[in-house]
Amino acid sequence: MNTPTNQELFDAWRHEPAPLLPLLHAFHDRDGYLSEGAMRAIAKELRLPLADLFGTVTFYHHLSREPGGHQAPRVCTGPVCQLKGAAQVLASLDGATSMPCPGRCDDPVPVLVGDKVFTGAELDRARSPLPPPPPDGIDECVFAAIRATARDSIEGYRASGGYRALPTAIEKMRPGELLDLVDASQLAGRGGAGFPTGRKWRAVADAEGTPKTIVCNADEGEPGCFKDRVLMDHDPHAVIESMALAAYATGASRGFIYLRYEYPETYRLLARAIAEAEAADMIGNAVCGTGFSFHLYLRRGAGAYICGEETSLLNSLEGKHPFPRNRPPFPVTHGYENLPTVVNNVETLVSVPPIVVHGADWYRDLGLSDHPGTKVISLSGDIKRPGNYEVPIGLPLMSLLQDWAGGPGEGRSVQAVTMAGLSGGFLAGEDLDVALDEPSIRAKGSFLGAGGIMVFDDTRDMIDVAHSAMEFFAHESCGKCFPCRIGTRRLTERLNGAGPDDVTQWVDEVSDIGETMKQTSACGLGMAAPLITESLMKYFPERVTEHVGNRRGANR
Amino acid sequence: MIRRATEEPVTQQPTPPAIHTLTLDGEEVSFTAGETLIDITYRHHKDVPNLCYDPRLEPFGACRLCIVELEGANNPVASCTTLAEPNMVVTTRTARLETHRRVLMEMVASENRDIDVDPLSGYASQQMRELVDQYDARTGRFQGEQSGTSREDDDNPFIKRDYDNCISCYRCVRVCAEQEGDYAISVMNRGFDTQITTEFEGLLVDSACTFCGQCIQTCPTGALADLKALANKDVPGETVTTRTICPYCGVGCTVDVMTRGEQIVGVLPAMDGPANEGALCVKGQFAFDFVHHPDRLATPLVRGDDGELHEASWDEALDRAATGFRKVLDEHGRHSVYGVASGRAPTEACYMLQRFIRAGFGTNQIDNCSRA
Ligand SMILES: Cc1cc2nc3c(=O)[nH]c(=O)nc-3n(C[C@H](O)[C@H](O)[C@H](O)COP(=O)(O)O)c2cc1C
Ligand code: SF4
Ligand code: SF4
Ligand code: SF4
Ligand code: FES
Repeated sequence: MNTPTNQELFDAWRHEPAPLLPLLHAFHDRDGYLSEGAMRAIAKELRLPLADLFGTVTFYHHLSREPGGHQAPRVCTGPVCQLKGAAQVLASLDGATSMPCPGRCDDPVPVLVGDKVFTGAELDRARSPLPPPPPDGIDECVFAAIRATARDSIEGYRASGGYRALPTAIEKMRPGELLDLVDASQLAGRGGAGFPTGRKWRAVADAEGTPKTIVCNADEGEPGCFKDRVLMDHDPHAVIESMALAAYATGASRGFIYLRYEYPETYRLLARAIAEAEAADMIGNAVCGTGFSFHLYLRRGAGAYICGEETSLLNSLEGKHPFPRNRPPFPVTHGYENLPTVVNNVETLVSVPPIVVHGADWYRDLGLSDHPGTKVISLSGDIKRPGNYEVPIGLPLMSLLQDWAGGPGEGRSVQAVTMAGLSGGFLAGEDLDVALDEPSIRAKGSFLGAGGIMVFDDTRDMIDVAHSAMEFFAHESCGKCFPCRIGTRRLTERLNGAGPDDVTQWVDEVSDIGETMKQTSACGLGMAAPLITESLMKYFPERVTEHVGNRRGANR
Repeated sequence: MIRRATEEPVTQQPTPPAIHTLTLDGEEVSFTAGETLIDITYRHHKDVPNLCYDPRLEPFGACRLCIVELEGANNPVASCTTLAEPNMVVTTRTARLETHRRVLMEMVASENRDIDVDPLSGYASQQMRELVDQYDARTGRFQGEQSGTSREDDDNPFIKRDYDNCISCYRCVRVCAEQEGDYAISVMNRGFDTQITTEFEGLLVDSACTFCGQCIQTCPTGALADLKALANKDVPGETVTTRTICPYCGVGCTVDVMTRGEQIVGVLPAMDGPANEGALCVKGQFAFDFVHHPDRLATPLVRGDDGELHEASWDEALDRAATGFRKVLDEHGRHSVYGVASGRAPTEACYMLQRFIRAGFGTNQIDNCSRA
């Protein structure tokens, strides 16, 4: 294949929406890094100030500015992979650097080389493992058909019930009726914040300004979360169908899937599915042969956890520096290009087609007691059967750990788990006796969030785990606001042996920093990070005393 | 978009903006739609602390010192990014707010090499120190790695880039983009590693920088500092400022000239200057050496028969000029003259030159250099 010229790359992207990220990737892929010349050419072509473009490129940790950098191996050193030999893998590979969790905790230790992910178990495993089947008598929503043969192709998708909801909705329902249905299902956001999906869609439908946009948030940057990956790998058409439904309900005419950089195989699968769906008129100028038009674009992130935060994501799409925006105004009125925009998580979206087919009551009843619906939990760490489990909301945590996933290793006990990936901090001791629903978990000072749970057995040093977690937040803090920019660094230092060597002073400093971060940070990252230290001090005070005390000995 | 309070909403027919009220520290106060809470607190002299706020710039929300309590909200909100809404109940000082502000100031103090910098560094350079002292934040808590790397290699004569003292408020980057439209500097990296930079980490001379000095004057720590003023830091005497107009061009920017004794030590832009609202260009900001320069003309000079220039009175000099002009007119006619007004001249002076050429000589050959 001929190497494309700058001009050919510009011609390919100049008239596309959100062209900066794809152009950066095109040059990065072509040259193996982003050269000064490439950045100058892109800045000139897109009429961006060069200093701004340079600053923005340095924001993303997977864009290399050194020749050969694109192909240099990156090894996950996240909290789970650290337990599974990440350090040895890193040391054994020439020129390898570490990277934060790339969403393969069910298959450690992943190594990203160029556009391929290699995992410990098998080389270049293209797909994520399918979710284990649920226990008898449990009904699923988003996983119900995912194990069907060739579900990822349009034929297989259709054969297993796909692309039924979209034509039904367009033919038989007015947009307002679809909104009513989503409201009635009580579906809420599965990306972390739990905002009612029906209300979000209605706000966009009611907002003034066109074109409106649907963004599928597939950034999945939270360590310990890999649920969106399994959905997209095995059910990409469900993502497309659900986005078209969201567009129909809200009057949107364009959509973006913002996919994290670390899922290159998923990118190829989604690109193929989008082409199939376009050819079949499931998206495009005449959706299902009607006058409704919806264009879908796939965009790839470049390595930055904060780009999962919806306003940072929108800035990233628009080619701006990906700091989060100040809110209000919210994306529902001032989103992509300052126009009304739905930002929804993958799991939230793909819940919608089954709701259209089976009804709101069916969905609500999937949950236990009064809790509506299901939640996919990504389970990893010291557990016999790591993987993605779609549980009825309200299932006891211990039931998931013991009955569904086989419990911790032989002779081991669960010392602690994380919630919301890392953002919910730890639960331990008696608090492990909790139901998996947002109110119950919030009552323990944590939250369910995107549903990543890492398990740590009684052999693990929780100070090490906490340090690794805080290091992640420090690495990913965008640097916009003071409490998080400075606080994540100070907390990391204190978990790594620095800070006062008097326990009371240490605890005071860590608590004061944490409290101010929680209450004054500009976005969820800085508000959530101190849950790590807070829960560490709550459940493991004696380990904290030892940690600070040991160091005092070592310093003398 | 959030609109700054100073901008009038654009409407076809000027309707007076609706007046609403909210409660500020127990008092009912009025505001117009589009104002942020910090604008209102300022109007009522509440002095909400802040480090990333510059009223000329778009709301940003970095420092979080401007937090206020908002009834119904769990967490305090940043007053600089929160638009006022009717019937809000806002409190600017509570024990909780003051505790967070102090912790924030201790954190900021922990990341910098210096808290005390020479006031000649720049207009806002004392802002962080004042807040550190107000919150009694020199406690030495939160010690750890310090942020920012100074660019000692940048040998430009105007701007010191001492990023060891930078607190990442991004006022410099924002003023350069929003006020100057130069986009010379930006933010590199993330989190604690953020660093103010030009493209490819180069020198300012190789960037789009025009050396307007705006970034210096908005910097709240002295990390960006006025090298020309600092060069005079050993000049004895108290610094006195005198309000005047920049002599360089017709814009007429208001400046506060800093002097010690008879010597100019530096120039500060006047934030309330009607023409410039705090903006200056490289000339008005830095090019004041000519005032004390030995080559500067202090009296008119006329050329004597010996071919040398000699000091003369104004009458003598003007007579000589008039004689010369008349001679040219008599010998070569009225179209032998061509007048070009300086772009530095104000409108009145341009008008005078135009009258002089048209009425005095009787020709239309008159132009202005800024048309070239
Ligand atoms: C630091 C941070 C990271 C986030 N990362 C993600 C993410 O990777 N994927 C996601 O769907 N939502 C993420 N969110 C939540 C989004 O901001 C947003 O709430 C969500 O995409 C809305 O979709 P939902 O209502 O369907 O959950 C993140 C939020 C924060 C504060
Ligand atoms: S809380 Fe952290 S990630 Fe969020 S805006 Fe502030 S610095 Fe950025
Ligand atoms: S001197 Fe002016 S142009 Fe140069 S970086 Fe500062 S604000 Fe921008
Ligand atoms: S150099 Fe000054 S103005 Fe710029 S970010 Fe640092 S402290 Fe703020
Ligand atoms: S002035 Fe509001 S956050 Fe800095």
